[in-house]
Formats: sequence, structure tokens, C-alpha cells
Amino acid sequence: MDFKKTEEQELLLESLRTAYQRANLEEYFKACDRDHVFPEKAVAAMVDAGIPSLGIPEEYGGTEVDLLTQVMVAEEAYALGWPSLCWVNYSTEVDDILTFGNKQQQESVLNYALRGIKPFTLGFTEPQAGSDSAAMATTATKRDGKVYINGNKTFNTSADRAPYLLCVARSGINENPYKDFSMYLFPMDRPGISIEKLDKIGNNMCGTFEVYLKDVECDPSDLVGEEGKGFYQLMKNFEIERTTICSANVGMARCAYDEAVRYAGQREQFGKPIGSFQLIQEKIVDMRIKIENMQNMLYRTAWKRDNGQSISIDSSLLKRYTGQAAFSVIDDALQIMGGIGYVNDCRISRLWRDQRVYRIMAGTEEIMVHTAGRALLKEAL
Amino acid sequence: MKIVACYKIVPDAQDIAVRFDGSLDLERSEWIIGEYDLVAIEAATRLAEVSAGSAVLLSAGGKELTDSKLIKSALSRGAQELYCVVDQAVANADAFQIASVLAQALKKLEYDLVICGEGSSDLYAQQVGPLLGSLAGVTTINAVSKIDIQGNAVIVERTLEREVEVLQLALPAVISVTTDINLPRIPQLKDILAAGKKPVTIWSVSDVGALPPSNVQTVSTRAPSSIERQQVIYEDASEENIKKLALDIKAAR
Repeated sequence: MDFKKTEEQELLLESLRTAYQRANLEEYFKACDRDHVFPEKAVAAMVDAGIPSLGIPEEYGGTEVDLLTQVMVAEEAYALGWPSLCWVNYSTEVDDILTFGNKQQQESVLNYALRGIKPFTLGFTEPQAGSDSAAMATTATKRDGKVYINGNKTFNTSADRAPYLLCVARSGINENPYKDFSMYLFPMDRPGISIEKLDKIGNNMCGTFEVYLKDVECDPSDLVGEEGKGFYQLMKNFEIERTTICSANVGMARCAYDEAVRYAGQREQFGKPIGSFQLIQEKIVDMRIKIENMQNMLYRTAWKRDNGQSISIDSSLLKRYTGQAAFSVIDDALQIMGGIGYVNDCRISRLWRDQRVYRIMAGTEEIMVHTAGRALLKEAL
Repeated sequence: MKIVACYKIVPDAQDIAVRFDGSLDLERSEWIIGEYDLVAIEAATRLAEVSAGSAVLLSAGGKELTDSKLIKSALSRGAQELYCVVDQAVANADAFQIASVLAQALKKLEYDLVICGEGSSDLYAQQVGPLLGSLAGVTTINAVSKIDIQGNAVIVERTLEREVEVLQLALPAVISVTTDINLPRIPQLKDILAAGKKPVTIWSVSDVGALPPSNVQTVSTRAPSSIERQQVIYEDASEENIKKLALDIKAAR
């Protein structure tokens, strides 16, 4: 077993660090966070460094690379201080559309992804359908050779910026909801679409919206994948999404850890650095154990996917564990910082606010028990 | 135009620790390409691109030079090929010895222009470029802050204290470039992957000539001693504070 990164991975991470440092982002992110503004300038720096092209096939202008390398790069960016939900490498969206999209959909989605633009916001959660995905009520009704979408979606990240909506809706062809969902990809500027911003605790740099869909006219060619297979496609999406977003858990935890440990070595109380007290050391040690565990799980899950193995269980375990472990690492980091950690000028306060949602979005940690628990029992029989 | 960029590998300054006696602990320092040499490589690559020519890399040093990650790092920045003279004796060579070895290696290469950084990132003696030019017996210019190609002519600018000197180079030439000439590119993954497939030629000193004796004896290498921070804070940039700052600096010396 080889835990060493390849030379190519190491050099790529060096390029990322150089691009990050050159762009001088620390104060900029602080201002974007304060003003609730998407960090365009930072994204532009990553586009210049070619980062969004990772994982996009060469025929679309990208550089093919495995999921493992993609999550490593994302993790490193978050560890440097990149803001949550703003990463430029849209691995999940790219994977979705490469797996299920038609040629034309692939071309337009990958073209946006290549420029670091989130290609679409996923329209799946609805006010009455959160963890219970099957309760989705948005409809896709066929009429005169067209398809009309009606319904409300919610918790749509970047609905103000993403050019498309990947909308999951009931087709009305099967009474069993699991066999009735279909996915449609259409531009967000189509008539009948309106959005409303949600006011939330954190992740200020990335807006989250409610999306109202009223008689949105689609062409049958806007269908992604197969009619009635939307739920199955969504499950495939979740496996990738749960893996890629966990790079943020690992990276943000590392970011908080690095800062807190440095501080513990410098901050003096009672005449010595607080890091010399065993109560602080215990925190540091436990934080480090969690980081190592999270990283190993993340890399292994990505590696399994790259090697064609199923990650349906792994992605759920990873999502549940890293969401909780990162939360605890960042919380301990804030505790080590003391009062300074609770002040917005300290980066850890942002990480503390932003990471909390990773225990909820893309499948709550309770749903991860539901998805993995049954499968693990089945595996044992 | 055929261009050669020279580079040196140095310990990463970020990780150099200073021991209590002021000596340097390089244990944790990885080898990297000197930051001034990255500028030379970038200048060579851009010039090759605009002149539809070629850029190759040349270095001399110890066996660390052949580290495959370092080679990929060097070749991921646009040059087509890499040549290096590897010998443990060269690892601790002085500037004249290095320049001699490089000059011998240059005889095996076709070139119109050789570009060096303004100095190495570790010792920064700023000697290898000028020494190399004179040993090779070609036009030698340092402090070049701009290079332009006009037809067959290479025009360079040197930013001096009171003027900007514009010169047309008689080729072949060896020039040393300053850091303001460009901002080195950041290699993308496709460049890194391509770098692993580019040709690398490794010579020993005897393949190119011989190492002349050293005229330099290094007695010791020490970090400058540090003094306690004074913790003086100047509230604003008023005339009065600026004067006070200037006086404090003078007094501290």
C-alpha cells in the first residue's frame, strides 16, 4: 500500500498553492464574507491556473484526472482558506452530465465548468421533500410536443449565478414515485422561473435560494438521461456529491487546526504558551486523529470510485463521519482561540459558521445512517 | 531562435531552520528551483514562443538535480528539453566552477541566446551569468528587464539607476534577467503530465570537460543574528511620525 502522493499530484498542489498565494486572498475573502458577495476575483485566479479543467475530458478542453486527485486539490484549497461552497472544480456536475447528459448538454455544461462557473443548481429538495425525496411534487407535464414544469424547489445554492437548473420532477407515468422521476436541464432565464434568496447562518459568499417554477416550457430534448429514471440518477449523483463535498470537511478542518495549533504555540497565559497545557494538547491530538481519519476515508472512497468499485456505502459513511468530525475539529479550534475565535476577524469563526451545514446538506447525517445502515446489514448476511 | 535557460536547485528557504549557533539546518528543506531562475525559464519560454524557436534548460549540480519531481517541475514550465551536468563535485562548486562547467556544456548545444536569473536564490552572488558569458566568449549583459525581438534583432532594456539602457544584442549572447521581466507561469496539470515525457540528457563533468580548481574557501555560513523587536507603533503616516521613524532606524543602526 502506498500513501505517497504521486509527483504529478504534488506538483499540481504546488501550482495550486502558488496561484492561491499570488492572488492574495485572505483580506478579500474576509470582505466577501462580510458583504455576502461571491468571490469572483478568487475564482478568476483559479481559472487562470487551469484548476477548473481538472476532470473534464480533453475533447472538451479539460485535463482528465481521477477523482482522487480532484478531491485532494479541493481539500488543499479549503485547507488554505478557500470559502465553503465556492470551489471552482465542479466534479459532481461534470460527472452527472457526462454520465447521463446528451452531447449538447455535455458541451454547454462542461464549457461552463471549464470556466469555473457552477453549471447548474440541482433542483431536488422541495419544502415538503427534504430527506424524503420521494415526496417531491414538482411535475413535468407533456402537452403539444412540449414539457411544462410546475413546482417549488428550495435550498438551491448559487441559483442566482448558475446558468442552468437540473430539475427533478414527476413525469406522471408511474404510480411508484421512485419510477416516476425524470431530470430536465434548462436555462434559469426561461420564462416562469423566479428565485428568492434565503437568509442563513453562514456560507455568506454563496447564496442559497428558493426557486419557483410556473409553467416553464421545456423541449423533450431537455431531458437528462431516461424518463422515469430520475431517482436512480439522483442516487448516483449523491454518491459523487457526498464524496466531493467531503473534501471541504477535511480541508476546512485542516485550516482551523493549522491556525489553532500555531496560536497554541504562541499565545502565552500564566507565563507559558497555552499549548504547554495538557488540556490544550488533548484537543490538538484528538483534532489531528480526526483529520487523519477523515483524510484516509476521503482518499479511499475516491480511490474506490476511480477503480470502478461501488461507493454507495462508503460515501454515506464518509459523509456522516467527516461532517461530524470536521464540526468537532473546528469547534475545538475555536475553543483554543478563545474569545478571538468568536470574532469575525478570525477565520475560524467563518469555518465554524460555514461547516455546520455539511451535516445537513446533500443528505443529513441521520439519512446517512439510513442509507448505510441497511446496506451494512445486508452485506453481513 | 534557439534559447537556453540556466537554473540552479536550492534548498527551500521557507523550511531552513537556524540553529542556536547561527548555522543553518537544511534537514527539512526540500530542493526547489531557484525563484530567480524561474524568471529566466519563463523569459526563455516566452521568447521561444514568439520567435517560433526552441527553449531548452541547462543546469549543473549534485545528484539531487536528477530527482524526477524536480525535472518534471522544470520541464512543466514550457521548455522542450533538459540537459544537466551531474557530479557530486559540482554540488559544492563556487560560481566560477559552475560557470566553467556550464560553458563547457554549452559547447555541446546550439544556441543564440542563454538566459540566466539575476542570481541564485541561496547565495545570490550574481556571478554565474556574467562569468558564463565571458567564458563562452560571447556578448554578456546583466540586469536585463525587457527583451524584444524585432526582425532578426534582439533588443534588450536594462533599467539602471538613472536611465533605461536600450541595447541591440550581437548574438550569441548570455544575459541575466531581473525579476520584473515577467511573472513565471503556474504549471497546469497538462503541463506537468507532458513534462514527464520530455527528453532529458544527463552528462557527467568528464562528458563535457573538467572541473577547474576552486578559488573560494567557505569558512562558515551563518544566519544574521536577530535582535529583540522594539514594539514601536507609529499611529499614522504624518510628517512628524515619518521623521521619528527615520530617526529610530538611524539610531538602531
